[in-house]
Amino acid sequence: MKKKFTLLALTLSMATLTACGGAEETPKVAIEVPQEVFGSTITYDPSAQINSGEDIELEFWVWGNPELFQSAIDTYCAMNPNVSINLVNNPWDSYWTKLPLSLNGDSGPALFNIHNSHHENLINYIAPIEIPLEDLQADFIGVDAHIIDGEVYYLDYGIMTGSMFYNKDMWETAGLTDDDIPNTWDELREVAKKLTIKEGDQIIQAGLNFNGDFAQNYLLGVNYQLGENLFLEDGRTPNIASESTKQIMQMLLDIYEIDGVGHKDFGEKCADSFGQEMSAMILQWGHFSNTLNNDFPDLNYGVFEIPSFDENPYAYNRYNGESTFGINKNASAEQQAVAQDFMKFFLASDETQVDFNLAMNTFPTKVSIANDEEILNNPVSKAISKNIDRYVWPGPMPATMETSLIQAGENILFNDMSIDDALNQAQENIIRDLQNSTFVSVENLYKYAQ
Amino acid sequence: MFKKNSPLQSKSEIILRNIVVTFMIVFFSVFLIIPIFIAFAGSFHEWNPLSGTYNFLGFENYKNVLSSELFLKSLWNTFIFATIAIVFRIILGLGIAYAIYCPLIKWKSFFRVIFYMPVVTPIVAVAFVWKFMYNPQIGVINDIFGLDINWLLNPDTALIAVVIMTIWKDFGYAVVMFMAGLYSLPADALEAAVVDGASPWQKFYYITLPLLKPMTLFVVITSIISYIQAYVQILIMTEGGPGTQTYLTSYIIYEEAFVKYNFGYASAIAFIVFVITAGLTLISFRVSSTQK
Repeated sequence: MKKKFTLLALTLSMATLTACGGAEETPKVAIEVPQEVFGSTITYDPSAQINSGEDIELEFWVWGNPELFQSAIDTYCAMNPNVSINLVNNPWDSYWTKLPLSLNGDSGPALFNIHNSHHENLINYIAPIEIPLEDLQADFIGVDAHIIDGEVYYLDYGIMTGSMFYNKDMWETAGLTDDDIPNTWDELREVAKKLTIKEGDQIIQAGLNFNGDFAQNYLLGVNYQLGENLFLEDGRTPNIASESTKQIMQMLLDIYEIDGVGHKDFGEKCADSFGQEMSAMILQWGHFSNTLNNDFPDLNYGVFEIPSFDENPYAYNRYNGESTFGINKNASAEQQAVAQDFMKFFLASDETQVDFNLAMNTFPTKVSIANDEEILNNPVSKAISKNIDRYVWPGPMPATMETSLIQAGENILFNDMSIDDALNQAQENIIRDLQNSTFVSVENLYKYAQ
Repeated sequence: MFKKNSPLQSKSEIILRNIVVTFMIVFFSVFLIIPIFIAFAGSFHEWNPLSGTYNFLGFENYKNVLSSELFLKSLWNTFIFATIAIVFRIILGLGIAYAIYCPLIKWKSFFRVIFYMPVVTPIVAVAFVWKFMYNPQIGVINDIFGLDINWLLNPDTALIAVVIMTIWKDFGYAVVMFMAGLYSLPADALEAAVVDGASPWQKFYYITLPLLKPMTLFVVITSIISYIQAYVQILIMTEGGPGTQTYLTSYIIYEEAFVKYNFGYASAIAFIVFVITAGLTLISFRVSSTQK
């Protein structure tokens, strides 16, 4: 049962905050410090002493959103003033080279942010979370997919997937209302026609644009609507040259070539084209909301759930999890103990979970906040909330799935290759690339797996 | 005591020499020779240094590389890319250097700086700017020439578009090299040609050009080495696309190593490319020496 914080609003001085690494760069803020035990099944006791009350310092590496992580660190350090956590923010690209190499030695950070696409390079350096599995399963959904030999090394705190983003001003100009929000692909195609503006044969405004992102957003996920997984039963053999993928690719071609609501040469990157108000609708993942808010703050946009081929699809789409942190198994025992304590705080705190999910535009996996008002007011979460259990996680997606399907799509759109040939070639490439991979799909763990 | 004919005159000079030489040996060993040996050994392994995977495969990586259609295609693309870029680098470089060298041209330093500026501009920045210029909707290239081409996603124009950008960025290097060559030409040979009544064209073709052959060879060899290693412009402008139309060999090395973390396979490609580069360089030297 969710326990509410008893909050003591403390305005902490900078002197107090210096207990937390990097605090000298943190503006003075009022931190609400919990005084009583909080959490649902996993609970955190703020009065419990960590590291016997002795000073201890550790590093926490992330690749972005430093303010978000710093706020969690500040709250934790306010409860544990003997702990100093230095936040180190790295650029995305160099992060994935530097992190595994430093974890391999003795200079690695005790805590580090994880993206599951780098699972294979990190898993050997992560210590399992020291919270009973049943407690994790009681508080969070999707834990089972992260069990390795009975242990959980990291889990998802949020679910991200693809939804349709639409320009509300264009929508209104085209005479469309909320009642016109499409539920099926056929309805979407009709709406896209109304949103398309042309001068002769020249497109001025695309009704729907999927340029640049069709591999990740369409070819790796919409297949579930047609009842086909991305991998065969063995979990290793890709199912890319499948009838469902062919059907989806053909639909995309028809949308451009028959409906004429977009063009392969109009708006090279659909995301940019949408931001520049040249395209009315695009399918993007939740993080795109942050891009729009940061780069195109004046854009009036809305979000609705991805359409389906019929009313009751096997699943709507693929999702990927926003992962919790990793704990460095090569860190000192004292540092690992603090890192485990920080993880417990992170998982137990509903407020922190809400903050992280709102910041990442993800739907929370924590059961206790699934109906949180703030979460449901977030347009991205709202769009997927109704059918949240109808999304599949195939596992940490190997890079070759995306790169090979981008090539396939471009071969079809630009190099006049047939759909069959392009997908067969992609299938062969993926099989070759996966030979040395330990990847095994977890599609069989989907709630409604057939 | 020092030998009589030694160019080093003092003990301090010898100490300085030893320090410099030791530093160079250590530097090249640590940052070049040892990594090359590590990569060579790695090319016989299934190797991912990030996850700690290192399993012996024998010649499997080499076998896979040489039977890969994508690798062979990338070799052909690299050949086309390098040939066009080198030819235009030489022609533009020599032509502009000769024009600046002409006594009628003033502000020689100004022109030298102008033409060299793209060379010192980071290729990442140049590639991004050219990518915008090639954009079919907002790019200036279609606007200026009244065209409607999706340069970077059209299989007929994508590689050429990248080559054009590369030529623009690089020809200034050849300009500076050839100017250095022109200023070091023996004045007596040129004067003798004028005295003998040679026309400007004859002077250029029969005197200047042969005398510039060592510099031309230098530019060609450094260009071959440079263009076989080219991948940044591909990474930023096309990512190898459309499909695999603009894959260059070095781009595959990058993709295999830093996207798929298949370092063993990437190292095998790197060594094949190393052999090809060494072979081409040797051929260039041979061709040059037989024409002396």
